[in-house]
Amino acid sequence: MFHWLEKNPFFFSVGVFVVIAFAGLIEILPNFAEASRPVLGLKPYTVLELAGKEVYKKDHCIACHSQLIRPFKSETDRYGMYSLSGEYAYDRPFLWGSKRTGPDLHRVGNYRTTDWHENHMWDPTSVVPQSIMPAYKHHFTNIADIDTAYAEAFTVKTVFSTPYDIEGGVKLGTLDEAKVAALAEAKVIAADMKNQNVKDAVTRGEIPEIVALIAYMHRLK
Amino acid sequence: MQSNAALEYDYSVVKLFTYTTILFGFLGMLIGTLIASQLAFPELNYLLGEYGTFSRLRPVHTNIVIYGFTLSGIWATFYYVGQRTLKVSIAESKFLTIMSKVHFWLYFVGALIGVVSLLLGFSASKEYAEFEWPIDVVVVLIWVIWGVTMFGLIGIRREKTLYISLWYYIACFLGIAMLYLFNNMEVPTYLVAGVGSVWHSVSMYSGTNDALVQWWFGHNAVAFAFTVPIIAIIYYFLPKESGQAVYSYKLSLLSFWGLMFVYLWAGSHHLLYATVPDWMQTMGSIFSIVLILPSWGSAINMLLTMKGEWNQLTDNPLIKFMVLASTFYMLSTLEGPIQAIKSVNAIAHFTDWIPGHVHDGVLGWVAFTIMSALFHMAPRAFKREIYSKSLMETQFWLQTTAVVLYFTSMWIAGITQGMMWRAVDEYGNLMYSFIDTVAVLRPYYTIRALAGLMYLTGFIIFTYNMYMTITASKKLEEEPQFRSPMA
Amino acid sequence: MEIRELQAYANFFFTVFLVFLLYGYIIHLYRSEKKGERDYEQYANIALNDEITDAPVERNPKTLDKKEKGGKIDE
Ligand code: HEC
Repeated sequence: MFHWLEKNPFFFSVGVFVVIAFAGLIEILPNFAEASRPVLGLKPYTVLELAGKEVYKKDHCIACHSQLIRPFKSETDRYGMYSLSGEYAYDRPFLWGSKRTGPDLHRVGNYRTTDWHENHMWDPTSVVPQSIMPAYKHHFTNIADIDTAYAEAFTVKTVFSTPYDIEGGVKLGTLDEAKVAALAEAKVIAADMKNQNVKDAVTRGEIPEIVALIAYMHRLK
Repeated sequence: MQSNAALEYDYSVVKLFTYTTILFGFLGMLIGTLIASQLAFPELNYLLGEYGTFSRLRPVHTNIVIYGFTLSGIWATFYYVGQRTLKVSIAESKFLTIMSKVHFWLYFVGALIGVVSLLLGFSASKEYAEFEWPIDVVVVLIWVIWGVTMFGLIGIRREKTLYISLWYYIACFLGIAMLYLFNNMEVPTYLVAGVGSVWHSVSMYSGTNDALVQWWFGHNAVAFAFTVPIIAIIYYFLPKESGQAVYSYKLSLLSFWGLMFVYLWAGSHHLLYATVPDWMQTMGSIFSIVLILPSWGSAINMLLTMKGEWNQLTDNPLIKFMVLASTFYMLSTLEGPIQAIKSVNAIAHFTDWIPGHVHDGVLGWVAFTIMSALFHMAPRAFKREIYSKSLMETQFWLQTTAVVLYFTSMWIAGITQGMMWRAVDEYGNLMYSFIDTVAVLRPYYTIRALAGLMYLTGFIIFTYNMYMTITASKKLEEEPQFRSPMA
Repeated sequence: MEIRELQAYANFFFTVFLVFLLYGYIIHLYRSEKKGERDYEQYANIALNDEITDAPVERNPKTLDKKEKGGKIDE
């Protein structure tokens, strides 16, 4: 009876498919609803933070950094409170990472300042002499893509009902409104920075990638 | 039988995929060696400006070796093994001939664009699924075309029973199709919002769900790209090269179904200690352990195929490659489940032990198998003998040493760092700052970079040997049946 | 019943089912070979004798039909 399968490619394929598909069904699907519930008080990302997250994605910081603090004493001592499922509810995609060549960043916003990040991203070894992290000088000249960040926020709002524009929450509004808001946010960060090009750009109304990235880093807490 | 007289297998697509296997293999390993060196010598990050940092190049490396080198190798062998074990020439059908050409060219162009898009920073930032949605669409198209040629070829076969290798190719096709589709479900933001980059998309799943899907994909993509089709390759080439029938056909049936079922459960072990439910984690671990049994069935089957013929191991370097590959396969399928044990994972996760594990699999098992298959096919496809046996020997020893250096240095690095992260002094305070645990790894990173360089050198020797085989080696009068002729 | 509980049950059930199936399969394979109903090992030769002129281990009747009717397929 079994042997029949190797002679009938169609049923053979169906058999293989059924076997490999249902494991996924049982394992993943039923948990969907529960795992996507946000923790209380979690706000969606602002447009500037999203632009920073985009920089993080574009330069694959995930290759060296995790954003997942495991519930061990050695990890909570080092990084802070362990991560909760609901904290990631607005992360598309998730950025847990799989390799810690550098430290975990899930709560880096609690202990690093704008000034620290500025020095560190410009030249990590100036802050941590033995660091092997690359310098990201191009973040200081490249301009962050606010349009795309807005498109992302707009998409998650319309398609996945992410709660933008609710009372007491994050305002999204129109593209122009969002741009104004992002620039205002960027100015606050740039005020703490000393790189003249960055300051000039923000005055001109452009937001360098580094500013967006720092906004995103501050958001991680 | 008369109409068959002039029939011959058509190797034109096999040849094309052979070239891309070599091309992407070289590029992937070159970049791999570069990024390995960057961890030991960070100054190397600045060779190509913004495009040359470790982080920008790392996905380029992984995607080239997975979707470039490995897939090319899989398809080169598929068009070879498929025709031969079905006893049908692809030239017998005009339609399939054209589709196979389309398959190749679409793939080649798609792969090049994909690589460039990653260099430029268009990335979904999900590991091994970095390609943004336009590339994903092309990938799906390529996959469908492969399906058409594969099932088309099967449809006109002369041999009624599908040989073992074909089962694995089919499983590869279906498995990757399912995994890739579900993991890359994304919404292009431009289509919704009408502003911003056309390339950009957001994942359909968020946070923990995305992680679940991603590692269900991530783990099984390894299964269905690095295990299943490579088993397909070795099930054909080892018996054929040695002239020995597979040790046990029945065992291969059992290992196949065992592997199919069990592998898919094991994905959740990538999420140990994360925020997913406890039982799922335990299940993941247990099933990973159960996984040893069926996957070893295949490896044992391979090794026992050589029973009574072990002398071939000493005088045929091709057999050497394949037997060593099977051994590395056993090693890494043992290592994986060990890492999935909860207490081991607590130390190993996030450390260099993981890339170490991946590389004894891909360098020792995947690349060895693919290279030996290319060597075996070359005299048949190009009708010339293999250019140099002694170069093969050199390559073999160089690369074997490289693999051993690679994984031993990464084991030590990983375990050292894992232990240092959790070390506490007598008062319960952490003993090491993070940077201490980085500084201590520098010697191991240096050894690993050296191992990469050695492996790459071996690959260059391979490339040269293949090039000379194709262009300058002695012509063959007739096709060798088993052992590949070499000078 | 909670969904997680359901998952656990489903998982347990399928695991047992698979083990049952796989072992049944093993017994079936060896038994039918012992009884002489089928020689599985002959299929290993598909790889060894794979010239296009070699006789197939078992000819696919569908291809044969076409061959006798119209010579070459497609064309
Ligand atoms: C080659 C691996 C590597 C890459 C890629 C990398 N980092 Fe790092 N990172 C490190 C290492 C190692 C450290 C620890 C030493 C240091 O502080 O420089 C670190 C430290 C940090 C810290 C300080 C964290 C702390 O708790 O002190 C931040 C913030 C950071 N990285 C951000 C980034 C960002 C943003 C990117 C992407 C643009 C990035 N890193 C890419 C290796 C890397």
